[in-house]
Amino acid sequence: MYKRTPIYDLSYYRFIGSWAWILHRLSGLALIFYLTLHIWVIHSLTVSEARFNSVMTTLSSPLFKILEVGLWGVILFHAFNGIRIAIVDFFKGSEFHRRWFYLLIAIAFVLWALGSYMIISHIHG
Amino acid sequence: MKKNFNQTSKTGAIAWLLQRISAVILFVMLLIHFVTYHFITKGVVTYAQIVEKMQSSWFNLFQFVFLICAIYHGLNGVWAVSEDYLTSKFWRITVYSVILTVGVALLLVGGLTIIKAGNIPLGAK
Repeated sequence: MYKRTPIYDLSYYRFIGSWAWILHRLSGLALIFYLTLHIWVIHSLTVSEARFNSVMTTLSSPLFKILEVGLWGVILFHAFNGIRIAIVDFFKGSEFHRRWFYLLIAIAFVLWALGSYMIISHIHG
Repeated sequence: MKKNFNQTSKTGAIAWLLQRISAVILFVMLLIHFVTYHFITKGVVTYAQIVEKMQSSWFNLFQFVFLICAIYHGLNGVWAVSEDYLTSKFWRITVYSVILTVGVALLLVGGLTIIKAGNIPLGAK
């Protein structure tokens, strides 16, 4: 019988892969929560134009702009770490999974900075 | 204790593969989603801009596939995480039922939004 690792055992967290694993789970759970909110918000489109506009006004407030910057980061982390998982699983990438992690997270970070600037400066909707 | 893994259910393996396939599809579709909804629109997105986009049948077909992939990937992920912690049959069945119900609800709300906003009659696709 295998021995179950207790949830409070953090000895694995000296490895980058463990961090990637737990952050992928947590960001995934955050994203399904966001997807639910997103579907609900866009649903207001079919209620009335006034309803949609009032929702959009709320979502344009500074608080939601900051949350959007965070959301953009969570999406990018999950998407780019997800690519790393696919590479490791399908292309024998386990040997270089750390290098893939640093490379893909670096790309994600650049995209996060660019997108965050766009969100805060209201260049794009 | 020896166990013959050849005779165990293959649903876990199928869920694993479909999670990666939906991930790759989502990555590409999310890119299209961001470009069409955020990067080519200037300033805050308006009601008219979105409704105009959602008149296109091709675009709505894309949105349906996107919606189904996102809900599947998200809830399949939640179930994969749940399976790691739930050992009793009662909780497994309960959580699985909740996930299925949420999935159906999201698909209904999201799907009806696409159909209503695009003014596409049911069954036309």
